[in-house]
This record gives sequence, structure tokens and C-alpha cells, in this order.
Amino acid sequence: MTRRFAIFLVFSACPGWTFADDALPKAETILDRFIEVTGGRAAYEKRQSEVMTGHVEMTAQNLKGTLTRYSAPPDKSYTVMELDGVGKIEEGSAGGVAWENNPMTGPRIKSGAEKAQSLREATFNGPLNWQKMYVKAETAGVETIDGEECYKVVLTPAEGKPETTYYQKKSGLVVRTTTVASSPMGEFPVEQDVSDYKNFDGVLLPTKMVQKVAGQEIVFTIDSVKVNEQITADRFNPPAEVKALMEKK
Amino acid sequence: MRTFAGLLLAAAAGYAQLTAEQRQLNIESFEKVWTTIRDKHWERNPGGLDWQAIHAEYRPKIEQAASTEQARQVMRDMLARLHQTHFAIFPGNVYEDVGGAVMGGGTPGLETRVLEGQAVVTSIDPGSSAERAGVHPGWVVTRAGDKDLAPMIRKLQAVPELHELTLERAVEAALSGPEGGDLAVTFLDGDGRQRTMNLRLGPPRGAPSRFGNLPVEYVWFESKKIGNIGYVRFNLFLDLARVMGEFGKAVTGCRGCDGFIIDLRGNPGGIGGMAMGMAGFLVEKPDEKLGTMYMRDNSLKFVINPRAGAFDGPLAVLVDGCSASTSEIFAGGLQDLGRARIFGTKTAAAALPSAIEKLPNGDGFQYAIANYISEGGKALEGNGVTPDVTVKLTRAALLAGRDPVIDAAVEWIRKQRTPQ
Repeated sequence: MTRRFAIFLVFSACPGWTFADDALPKAETILDRFIEVTGGRAAYEKRQSEVMTGHVEMTAQNLKGTLTRYSAPPDKSYTVMELDGVGKIEEGSAGGVAWENNPMTGPRIKSGAEKAQSLREATFNGPLNWQKMYVKAETAGVETIDGEECYKVVLTPAEGKPETTYYQKKSGLVVRTTTVASSPMGEFPVEQDVSDYKNFDGVLLPTKMVQKVAGQEIVFTIDSVKVNEQITADRFNPPAEVKALMEKK
Repeated sequence: MRTFAGLLLAAAAGYAQLTAEQRQLNIESFEKVWTTIRDKHWERNPGGLDWQAIHAEYRPKIEQAASTEQARQVMRDMLARLHQTHFAIFPGNVYEDVGGAVMGGGTPGLETRVLEGQAVVTSIDPGSSAERAGVHPGWVVTRAGDKDLAPMIRKLQAVPELHELTLERAVEAALSGPEGGDLAVTFLDGDGRQRTMNLRLGPPRGAPSRFGNLPVEYVWFESKKIGNIGYVRFNLFLDLARVMGEFGKAVTGCRGCDGFIIDLRGNPGGIGGMAMGMAGFLVEKPDEKLGTMYMRDNSLKFVINPRAGAFDGPLAVLVDGCSASTSEIFAGGLQDLGRARIFGTKTAAAALPSAIEKLPNGDGFQYAIANYISEGGKALEGNGVTPDVTVKLTRAALLAGRDPVIDAAVEWIRKQRTPQ
């Protein structure tokens, strides 16, 4: 569930973003506007790697920790979270394989809808690649969030549950996403509010994500994003416990 | 004499005419019980009932209750309509011994179990003052400080809703106090002689561990070999990184063993997810689960992620009435999957978090907030895990330096490896 911090909710571009009040714009138009307002296609295309650091807090449980995420094209991702009292939770993907190594539940290789979801979230520069990630994008209406009207866009992947993203009419920015997270433990509705966009090397990224899942609230705060840092290839290698499972298969 | 006087006073208080203030406190207690069930029960219609209609039915009764005992009975009758365990009202004086028992930080280093109405020493913490004083398993603790244990045990055992775990915690609380202080403990030794020892209260065994909002708990883990059989015991499913690491090391270091024993006696649980992670060291087959937890809005499958090179030999899990929550989830799930043979006595039947709170009228209120169904389809809450082989600890065996539960598990494992 924590993977959702990775802002899988971001999508695509198109310059024409003035809409008549009574007509819903096409989803493609909204997604393209998002790219424009967050920096533009060219700014995204300059990015070849990303190292994001921040911290995480489960407020009700009083659990705190740090997180670091490394990303590179096309679907390479490695996230490590160090939670007080829990330890190191790792997850990653590369070459079409997605995995998790959790000290509580053990190492595992993801499959089915969960794997598909992880790979979508790991897609580098996701906003530019939404057509590869979803088979359908529809504008489903207008809803008000925190007093601001938002376009509700439903994105349907080839495998897994639809994801709904709310784009503020005024700013064009994503403010909320909802979906159903799949895992072997069950399916859990997830709602994530994103805010506090900041510019990192020409692209606006949200630095605060408040995720509600299974009755828990998790707050992710991004402290820094380093773009085009050299990331060694072995950074995306899974840990030994996961490798052992891959060899077993 | 003091006991009888106390009983008479309690009875008199129970049946005396209530003051307006007492009546109001009973009504407030009723409202707290009813509201808690409405808001926290895992079913939107608790027990399949129209909970609002239940309020309408019982509210006039609580208003008419002429005594605290009658008010308590009204609340008990309301809870009984749920037909679910772990919903109980305890009289205030019982609450003080259980939910209200405040343990001191210090301990003489004794573990006890109530066997046939007596608090019997079952093990001594290494390096503790009890060990230095020469206390022996099998001795009976008759008095701790100014508290005679026999009357307290009798009082708590007379309340059928209280499970063994609660009773043992009350004994543990009596045997604790401020760290660094002394506690006079009177024992009945193996020869039937009374011995009073002044025991220094030291820190609890293990290392302190904090998890979120939980108070600091001391966690210990022990691992050894009994012949060519692996054996582990730990007191809590906490201190996740260390305990999971030690557990993994013990299991993977025992791949050539004749069998493996996991001793969960006295383990009241902890982080539920750890049951899944530990089972992954012991189950090879994919897509297995220990069971499912049902809360109001979600269900959570306790899946097992098999590790490469999981141990596949004979597995024994030892439990008793103080094995609760995560211990029951772990033992019950592995039993249902046919992966482990369970030895000991029935578990606490407290597979879920149940809270005990004080009501405005001074009574205690216990309630469960979720339901857990083990893989075999049985609710562990209220039922517990029934061992495949029931073996009870006895004072005689402890005095003789034996543990009949471990002995039974070892014997079974050896038979599995012996060609028939």
C-alpha cells in the first residue's frame, strides 16, 4: 500500500485547456493539461533518473520512518522504508518483475493485478506514458474537493481495478486519487490526497501525500528529489531472499 | 474475619437503595457499553441485532434498576444477546485485580502458572534474584508482599468470563513492584516447607522494545537444540526485526534437524503480521493462509509467503491458556493446514484484541472489536486452539525438573523419524 506514495496518479498532456463550463473536457485533454501545468513534456523528457527522499508517519499508530525511492526508465524502481519498530521494508521492480521484502510478512514476488499495479506505478515519467498504462481514460464528472471544483477522470488498466484521479479545474493539478489496491491479503480501497507541489528541476511534484487505507492514515512527506543522479545498475537488483525465490521458480 | 466482613459489606452495598448519583452513573455506564458496541463491533448490526432496538428495550430497565447488581445484570443481559464471547461486565473489585492491575517495572524473575488453584513457579529467569535465591520450578507462591494469592485466585476463578490469561496477569502483577525494591515472597517448597524470601526486583527479562503507541515491552527470544530437534521460545510477537531475524536463523540453521518445536506457552501475542512471516519459514506450499480477520469495513487474509528452503520436517507447537492472539493465529492456522501438531492445553481464546475499560460506575467492561476465522473455518475468538495432544503441566513434574509438554513433543517428533 505504501507504494502508492510514488504518485502513480500522474498522467498526460495537451495545450488546449480552456473549457466551456457546461461541457466536460475529454480525459486526454485533462491529462495533457496536467503535463503542461507541471512543467511540460520537454521538462519531463530531460529526466532520466530520480532519487526521492522523505519521511512517513502513521499518525494513529505513532509509527514513523524514512523513505527513499530510486527510479529509472522504463520500469526500474527500488523503494526502501525504515519504520521504527518494524525495520526495513523494501520493494522494487525491473524488467517486468515486481517484488517486496517485508520483515513482517517475508519476501515475495508479486503477481496478477498487484504486479500490474506495481509496474504501472514504476513506469518512469508516468504522465508521458499513460496510454501505455491504461486502455481507457474517461472524464466522469465534476466534484468539489476542499471547496475547489475538480474533474474526475477514471483510468482503466488492462489488468486490475480502475483508478480515479481528481484534477483541480483551476490549477490543472491532481489533488486526489482513489483506487482499490490488490494484494494477496485482500483488496483495500485507497484514497490519497496530494498537495504542496514543488518544482524539482523543472517539474512540479507533490511533496505531501495523505493516504487512507484500511482505516489507517499514512502521511508521506518528500524532502528532496534529485534528478539525473547516477544510480548504479545493481541498485535495482532484488535482495538475496527475493533472488532465492526467483531461482526457486 | 476481614474477608467475611468485606463480603457482607459488598453484598450490602450491592443491594442498598441507590442514590440519584449512583443511578446516574449506572445509566452512563449502560450508555457507554451500548455506544461502544455500536461504534466498534466488527458487524454493523452487532450479532445480527437491531442495536437501536436493543437500546430501546434495555434503557428503561437500567433506569428502573434498584441496585448496582441489578444494573450490572441489565448490561450483562444486553451483552448476552450478542451470543459472542469477550463481552463482559466485571464488578469493580474484580476490575481492580484484572484490568486495573498496575504492574510495577520490577520483577523477581519468576514465571508462574495457576495449577489446581495454586500459583506454581514454572521457570526462573536467568540471572534474576529468584535464581540467585535458589527458587525452584514447582514451588508454590503463597504470598507476595502483603497479598495472599489463594483468595485472589479463588475470587478470579469464580468469574467464568475471565480467561486464564487474565488470571495469570493478576498473579504476575502481584509479583511485581518498583524496580530496585525488594518483595517478600513466601513459597511452599518441594518438601512442603514455607520459605519467605526477600527478592530484589530487577528489570524484566529481555530487551526493551517500542512499537508505535504500545508501551515499552521487554522481549526475549531463546533458541536451543534438544538432541537433534530445534527449539525456540519467545515471550511476545514484538521487536520485529530482532525476533524475526532470530527465528529465521534458528529455523534455517536446523534444516537437517529431526523436527522443530515452537514454544508459545505464555506468549500473549503482539504484531499479528509476524505470524505470517514466521509461517513462511515453515510452509513450502504457495497460496496458503492461516486465516482471515474480519473488521467492520475490511477483511484481512493472513497469507503465508513461503521462503526458499522452508523447513519441511515435523513441527510441534506448544500452547497453554496464556497463549493468545497472534500465538493462536499462528498455532491454529498451522494446525488447520495440517502443518503442525499442537501440544499443551487449550489457548486463551482471545485471538483478537479485546479491550477492558472502566465504566463510570466503577465496573469493568470487556469487548472485542474484530472476528478472526482460522483457515479451517473456526472462529478462534471464544474458542481458542484445542491441542491435538493435551498435556498438562504438573507441580510434581516441575519439581522433578521435567516439562511434560516438551517431553510429549520430543517423543512425537522422534517417532516421526523412526521407521515404522
